[in-house]
Amino acid sequence: MPNPRKPDGSVVTTCAYCGVGCGFKAETIRGEIVRMIPWKEGKANHGHACVKGRFAFDYWRHADRVKKPLIRASIAEPWREVTWDHAITHAAAELKRIQAKHGRGSAGAVSSSRCTNEEIYLMQKFARVALRNNNIDNCSRICHSPTQFGLSATLGAGAACQHFDSILQADVILVVGANPTEGHPVFGSLLKRRVRQGASLLVIDPRRTETAESAHCRADVHLALRPGTNVAVLDSLAHVIVTENLHAAKFIAERCHPAEFEQWRALVGDPRYAPEVVGPEAGVDPAEIRRAARIYASGPNSTIYYGLGVTEHSQGSTGVMCLGNLALSCGMLGREGVGVNPLRGQGNVQGGSCLGSWPHMFTGYRFVTDAAVRATFEQDWKLELDPEPGLRLPNMFDAAVAGTFKAIYIQGEDPVQSDPNQNHIVAAMKAMECVIVQDLFLNETAKYAHVFLPGSSSLEKNGTFTNAERRVSMVRKVVPPLAGLEDWEITVRLTNAMGYPLHYDHPAQILDEIARLSPAYQGMSFALIERCGSVQWPCNPQAPEGTEVLHTKTFPRGKANFMLTGYVPTSERTDERFPLLLTTGRILSQYNVGTQTRRTGNVAWYGEDVLDVHRTDADARGIQDGDFVTVTSRYGETRLRARISDKVNPGVVYTTFHFAQSNANAVTSDLNDWATNCPEYKVTAVELVKVPTGKPASSRTPASVRA
Amino acid sequence: MSGRAAKSGDAVIHLDVLITMANQIGDFFTPYPPGQREEGVRNHLRHYWDPRMRDALLAHVDATGGTGLHAHVLAAAKLLREPGAAKTGYPGPPKA
Amino acid sequence: MWSELRNLREGVDLGTPPRDGAAVSLTVDGKPVTAPAGSSVMVAAALARCPVPKLCATDTLEAFGSCRMCLVEIQGRKGFPAACTTLVEPGMVVTTQTARLQELRKGVLELYLSDFPAGDVPGGWSELHETMQQTGVTTHPYVAGENHLQAAVDASNPYFLFDPTKCIVCSRCVRACEDIQGTFALTIEGRGFQSKVVASQGECFLDSECVSCGACVQACPTHSLVEKSLFEGGEYRAQSPQA
Repeated sequence: MPNPRKPDGSVVTTCAYCGVGCGFKAETIRGEIVRMIPWKEGKANHGHACVKGRFAFDYWRHADRVKKPLIRASIAEPWREVTWDHAITHAAAELKRIQAKHGRGSAGAVSSSRCTNEEIYLMQKFARVALRNNNIDNCSRICHSPTQFGLSATLGAGAACQHFDSILQADVILVVGANPTEGHPVFGSLLKRRVRQGASLLVIDPRRTETAESAHCRADVHLALRPGTNVAVLDSLAHVIVTENLHAAKFIAERCHPAEFEQWRALVGDPRYAPEVVGPEAGVDPAEIRRAARIYASGPNSTIYYGLGVTEHSQGSTGVMCLGNLALSCGMLGREGVGVNPLRGQGNVQGGSCLGSWPHMFTGYRFVTDAAVRATFEQDWKLELDPEPGLRLPNMFDAAVAGTFKAIYIQGEDPVQSDPNQNHIVAAMKAMECVIVQDLFLNETAKYAHVFLPGSSSLEKNGTFTNAERRVSMVRKVVPPLAGLEDWEITVRLTNAMGYPLHYDHPAQILDEIARLSPAYQGMSFALIERCGSVQWPCNPQAPEGTEVLHTKTFPRGKANFMLTGYVPTSERTDERFPLLLTTGRILSQYNVGTQTRRTGNVAWYGEDVLDVHRTDADARGIQDGDFVTVTSRYGETRLRARISDKVNPGVVYTTFHFAQSNANAVTSDLNDWATNCPEYKVTAVELVKVPTGKPASSRTPASVRA
Repeated sequence: MSGRAAKSGDAVIHLDVLITMANQIGDFFTPYPPGQREEGVRNHLRHYWDPRMRDALLAHVDATGGTGLHAHVLAAAKLLREPGAAKTGYPGPPKA
Repeated sequence: MWSELRNLREGVDLGTPPRDGAAVSLTVDGKPVTAPAGSSVMVAAALARCPVPKLCATDTLEAFGSCRMCLVEIQGRKGFPAACTTLVEPGMVVTTQTARLQELRKGVLELYLSDFPAGDVPGGWSELHETMQQTGVTTHPYVAGENHLQAAVDASNPYFLFDPTKCIVCSRCVRACEDIQGTFALTIEGRGFQSKVVASQGECFLDSECVSCGACVQACPTHSLVEKSLFEGGEYRAQSPQA
């Protein structure tokens, strides 16, 4: 074999895949990207990486990349290639026409967690200054919006308390509804390291995941609870803590409101939350609940990491509050090795949360209804802003079906594949008059679009990402944008075409504007990030180089709050027609809806979504390993290949959502979190029927599907 | 869930969905003491719901007395119309 | 594990992980230097700008002591301790370059080169090539004997390949898979001259437990494990399948 070629150029940038946000060096030979190697000084990854960021970057130059803007009058027609000017002018004209005819509230926008902070900021600015409303949302609506709600309500800040390294000082690690070895692999490796050093591991998850049970990582306690019983089990842990007097009285007295603690203690201390009552309902051994609670409470340093298994439920926000309450009750906050930490899925979903891409909030989690906050934006942006909260994404779809919402500008998201109750979303898309999609590829949502604006991958632009640690890192341009414009430039042009003058020479100026208008980002600038490598917000005069650990001295509201988290079972129930519970998750080699990873060599490991079925359930239905099965719920049906697995309990089935053809979301319900409308992906009552041998048909909707 | 639109005409979301959502919010605040319960629901509706959604809910209360809404949710909806119920700039959790 | 991760620096490989103990003063090649307690002599030598040649050592992994390239002389100690596995002590006097040490290093490198594809010595840029330059050894005096030069390349993984003919069994890949990634997919099978790197139970990489994180590729000092994308032309260029 010959010697390998030696790269002659190198650009440090940040991975665009998951919320770990690994630092990478994009190495080039004569300007062509040849490999991505982990950056040793990346503070999120310290020189480690996973298959996606390390190797699966070739999607950026896949043949499917759209390189020219496209428009069409109706979705029944084929696309026409046009110039940028034509596409932008046309899109703006359509938006104006629709707002004139149907009202200001009939148009909205959705920003992308795979785009930079600067781009997300511009999208929410677009909605507010160009559309003149607050109909702006982001994809964390469907994953971690309960984190923002629940942690704000309890701790005062809707973001991770710690940085990843902090786990190295944890004695007890509680992982709830997350599988870091698959979803956040580099962090998962760090977690495993700490467990090998002797930390205790507690896992709450319906499945025997790799984190819970594998040759080299095994939980001391694994509560394999029935999907939908999170709050009951978490309140039961709290029950043990208060009835056995394991709580941290001094911490509570100093840093919480004693009256609130008493209210909470009375609630969780109720016999209805005793392990002996909750255990049988959740399918968990009561003695194990007690053991887990005692281990967590005794620490000395106990940390919580959680994921979508907590948030994607009808009590998602409540579940997050339970975690906040747990940490508060045992004083596990404000130092290394503790905290409550959401594992943010996408590379910049934290950024989306911070930068006001919400219908009810500006940057920094400040309410649109707050006149003083609104005034600062009105002053900087020089126009009057809508004082009322706008529509959330699911409500935009509802309104579209109801006929009052007609136009949408979607950047870097694929709701038709990723959002639940797909039939409803397709109906919504078809009901709209102008759907503008800005993306790298023609995705499922683009099938219903009237304007397609070809976007740029993270290798083709400059900007910043904020990872799950609140860490803001540089995204650096390695190659010029394939379609000619960086994503932020497209939004600027569209904003101008709508009549609001906007100009930036460079994304650094956008970050400067963000710093002016967002207290947590006050000290941020490209220069600071270049100097420090990365900066964790809050970054302000008190913390000029950022903040690693939150809540060390006070909470943002001074003291923290215990929230009353009563268990309300989901209305998604099993019955004779739908006796099994379907829950969903991720796999290491594929990323989200697979838009990028399906177009790389990663399909070698995982070429389709499979349905994990317990042997008992499979035998009862004559299903064998490898058979195709029809999965039916009250909302729709789909076909998946079955795999006999002992990783799920009887009564529970599991699949992933990486491939469009598996249509997992044709089946998921329209139930969602009470506070944020985050969909309840994790609990759907289903039945399985083996497909008679022969070709599997594509999924279709039963006649009685809900509109 | 049938598809009945709100009587106020400009329906953003079907009324049944609104009532379900409002009741779900009510379910969360049920363990709170009386007074705080209604305040919590009222604050949530005020700061998280699009005004047309609130208007549709109130139109339903006016038209039918609030059929389908839990008692404390109905009370909270009525609080939306009371200027005294607005705690300036504080949309956070109800204080104990 | 704190400083071992947080004090890593790009473009700098101290040889063994950075520590954060109290400062220890010692002398390397006549130069005074301080290193945190718990550091290896290799680190102290690197800090004193007298870097010791190395192959099986890298600062993202704990010391292993198998390649025997980093031997040094320490006043008052017998023999030639490996700098990577020897911890600094106050007042230590270390010499990194003597005629005898050069002889020993030359001997080790020549043995490695006798089982390395001769055609890949010129034009290579791996750590092995850097070490060859550092010590001035690029040839060996041995006649062709038993070797591993017929071993087959494992190109099963879509992104990287394993060429056993270049492997020096330094175990950096095995250690990376264990300590950094935590998958434990790799091991050394066999003993002595028969030792070789295998994935799982001797399967090809793609069929093994390997999760393709690339830590082994990053750790490999000889380009035995290497990205396919660094090779020109069809056979080793990663093929992205049509979606």
